[in-house]
Amino acid sequence: MKNFIVLILTLFFISCASDVDKNFKKRFENETPKRVHLKYWCSANPQEIELAKKLTEKWNELHPDIQVEVQPLPAGQSSEEILLAAIAGGTTPDVCSNIWPGAIAEYVKAGGLVRLDEFEDFDSVISARKIPRDLLESFRSSDGHFYQFPWKTNPILLLYNVKIFKEAGVEKPPVTYSEFFSVCEKIKNLKIGVYPGYTDTRPIWWQRFFDFYPLYISASGGKTFFKNGELKIDTISAEKVFNFFKTCFERNYFPITNFQVDPFLTGKIAMRFTGPWTISYLERNKPSDFEYSFAPIPVPDDYRGEVYTYGDPKNIAIFSSTKHKKEAWEFVKFLISEEADLLLLEICNQLPIRGDLLENQKFENYFNRNQKMKMFARQSAFTRGVDEAPEMKEIFDAISHEFEACSVYGAKSEREAVRNLVKRIKVILEWSK
Amino acid sequence: MVKVRRSENRSGYLMVLPYAVYFLVFVAYPLIFSFVLIFHRWNIVTPMEFISLKNFVRLFRDELFFKSIINTLIFLSIHIPLQIVVALFFANLLNQNVKLRGFFRALYFLPVVVSGVVVTILWQQLYAYETGLINQILSNSGLRKIPWLISPELAMPSIAIMATWKNVGLYIVLFLAGLQSIPRELYEVAEIDGASGLQKFFKITLPLLNPTIVLVVVLSTIGGFSLFIEPYIMTGGGPMNSTLSAMLYIYNQAFYFNHMGYAATLGFFFATIIFIVVFLQRKFIEREVY
Repeated sequence: MKNFIVLILTLFFISCASDVDKNFKKRFENETPKRVHLKYWCSANPQEIELAKKLTEKWNELHPDIQVEVQPLPAGQSSEEILLAAIAGGTTPDVCSNIWPGAIAEYVKAGGLVRLDEFEDFDSVISARKIPRDLLESFRSSDGHFYQFPWKTNPILLLYNVKIFKEAGVEKPPVTYSEFFSVCEKIKNLKIGVYPGYTDTRPIWWQRFFDFYPLYISASGGKTFFKNGELKIDTISAEKVFNFFKTCFERNYFPITNFQVDPFLTGKIAMRFTGPWTISYLERNKPSDFEYSFAPIPVPDDYRGEVYTYGDPKNIAIFSSTKHKKEAWEFVKFLISEEADLLLLEICNQLPIRGDLLENQKFENYFNRNQKMKMFARQSAFTRGVDEAPEMKEIFDAISHEFEACSVYGAKSEREAVRNLVKRIKVILEWSK
Repeated sequence: MVKVRRSENRSGYLMVLPYAVYFLVFVAYPLIFSFVLIFHRWNIVTPMEFISLKNFVRLFRDELFFKSIINTLIFLSIHIPLQIVVALFFANLLNQNVKLRGFFRALYFLPVVVSGVVVTILWQQLYAYETGLINQILSNSGLRKIPWLISPELAMPSIAIMATWKNVGLYIVLFLAGLQSIPRELYEVAEIDGASGLQKFFKITLPLLNPTIVLVVVLSTIGGFSLFIEPYIMTGGGPMNSTLSAMLYIYNQAFYFNHMGYAATLGFFFATIIFIVVFLQRKFIEREVY
């Protein structure tokens, strides 16, 4: 009998235990959310792939329930075309960090992007980055909302060869157009087969981001082409810039040719307009005695005030195809954290868009080690991107054609070039309305 | 009897089916679709938007499109006469009793069968300003280098010369066929009457070759209007849009800026121009041949 009671009690406890186990399992399953998978596209250059891999590895470690898979943007003619094709084909990622503001209008029109200001903490995240108000406003879409998070900028500055400057007796980099021409004249007079400056003359629309556009922004004191959705080109500044390059080509300061190897590294040219990515390239490839430095973009002689330039911003967006908006937003916040920004500086030598780059102690060590980047950091508050207007690509194509005709070949006056440009842009815009 | 006819009908329909399917899929459907596109704005991604005649409004204000048509006409005005003169000259030579006639006929036809892209890339290297073979020969002979593709004035004629070299073989064959269909008796009679070589050429050969000339003019006009590969690869339309052909401009609008509707409008407008030009050519050049 005793044995029987022990057996019954044992069976009872076992059954209870298995019941507890079942209940526990059930409760655990209900409480543990399913694992979320996000897809993140980054730019396809090696440094940014490295950065994206490091960041996602860290994120995946910290968030086992939200796993992010990183993929470089698939190869193609331009990232804008690939993203548009992805929207059309429904193959967009959840998050992409290579968004060019000039293409935002088309993505929004295609219904491809999530409104970022619908997230409750959007304002506090933005204000933590201390982005200058006017710069921040330049990323607001025409419907008053934000579809892109300002991420990184690459201000265009004047790169110059210190040694050639010294040889020519130039003590400081040129500030105004006439100073620029006098520097060019001094270099030309050296007669050592060095061209004072260079820009790619091919009429490819994005080439104008490295000559006409930064100089237009600086000459106009930070203006772009549109204001409140209306075409407002500063024609006087545009004429001055066309004339500046016209003089450079006419006087043979700039050659009309394409070089097979980098003309700056080989000492064939003394100046060019470029961004901070050039630093790591030059450091890797320069001969031991090669010296270079950067200076702000030259401005017209009568210009007073801060010198602005083109910032070449690339931003982060969440695609509306995502099934996990909240998780994607959390990941975006991780991508723009101070730690991530420091990695962006360290790995890619590209500047995060934030107002406290030189004050924030987090970045102090980096800038002390990379003095040349300090100039870009100082400039980053005074940058402009491109307007969020439809057909920006065709507008820049029109600029390229006028630039070629007026500045490179001198076939028309700057006034005529600007008049034609405005006329053509109006035709394009009227059609696209 | 009826049964047989029906089965004959069926096999007849079956035999034309491949072409009918091809026609419907690759000719009729794209044609109808592009006609619909004329009244729409469509960038492939966003839904089509009806804009009535806005594409035409833009077309008539698009200076670059009219420049591209003028460029194409400049190309034709160099290419067609050059083509006819060169083709006729070589056809006459190859119609004589020369040694290795078959070999030469094949040789002149060779560029026609070689891919246009390959020919263009080769000529691009020949024309290169600093490193091109032609300029090297010129500078070695103490002459000045010619900016074949980098001068706005010379770029289009340079392309026309290349296109002539590429296509002339086909027209030589056509002229050869035309020459061989002229009765020999006419020449014999002319010789008895004491006609000179030139007289025979202008009074017999040229008038009797009229149908072939019309064919060559029409074919090379249509071919010339569709000038695309050469400027696309060699110059990208530059310098200063001097080699921007109408087809290249339409292509850019469609596949570079994604303006499908506008490109379709340009395409239809351009097709109308080609039709008018070919119609006028036939009206003024075609003659009755006895």
